[in-house]
Amino acid sequence: MPSKKEEIGNLLDLLYLEMLDLIEQYATSRVNIEKLMNSGQLMLAKTRYLKGSQTISSAQIPTENSNTFNALCVLEEQKNDTKISSVEYSLMRRNVDKDKEFVEPMHWFTLLPPSSLRTASDHFKKCLELVLESANVQRELLAVMDHIDRLKQHCKAL
Amino acid sequence: MALHSARGKLISVIGDEDTCVGFLLGGVGEINKNRHPNFMVVDKNTPVSEVEDCFRRFVKRDDIDIILINQNCAELIRHVIDAHTSPVPAVLEIPSKDHPYDASKDSILRRARVSFISSIPKVHY
Repeated sequence: MPSKKEEIGNLLDLLYLEMLDLIEQYATSRVNIEKLMNSGQLMLAKTRYLKGSQTISSAQIPTENSNTFNALCVLEEQKNDTKISSVEYSLMRRNVDKDKEFVEPMHWFTLLPPSSLRTASDHFKKCLELVLESANVQRELLAVMDHIDRLKQHCKAL
Repeated sequence: MALHSARGKLISVIGDEDTCVGFLLGGVGEINKNRHPNFMVVDKNTPVSEVEDCFRRFVKRDDIDIILINQNCAELIRHVIDAHTSPVPAVLEIPSKDHPYDASKDSILRRARVSFISSIPKVHY
């Protein structure tokens, strides 16, 4: 922790610049998520048009009474010393394997998925990568804000 | 270096039908051995208390690292989301089909704005 007020001021300036940059990244990632989600939802609507309105609905989603299954897409937390938060997420995808309870989600809706449903699935898979990027930015932003608060308190104490 | 290489952490979803269906197609859905799903479909008949309970349950679960929530659902339980200040699980507000993303409602950006505004010295004329 720096001891002089001038050093703290300079460090705060750098942190505020970093914060503004992260806010911009945060807003950009949200816009990109929105675009991909819209494309995915359009493909879901197309599938409903082709296969009937009840094909893609919450009635097909597994409930608490359904068989257990594992997520195909999980997060891995990795150490990254270049970040202020010192950690970042990466995405880990598993292959479909019914014996190990990794099931294909498309088969909940239809056994012969049309190309529009496959395209919707691809859009949401890409969207997950953006979600991860956004989560990393958010975590870094919170770490920078926390650092700024601690520096301000330290500066007041001097 | 992976910190939790054994099983990996989950992404949970609270949102409308299309958001949940979409992310489930992406492969985030899971129903664990205790038959607890990591997703919740919210429609116009879902009580706010149910959304709130579900959010609190997801926050308490140590296998969930990211909670995706539609911004219109987040608005219903804004006080609970604002009270959640821990970086894990990360709460990400996402747009829905009927409600585009509004940065002025986002909890994180509101906190950032407060932090930034408080840094500007007051000038008295």
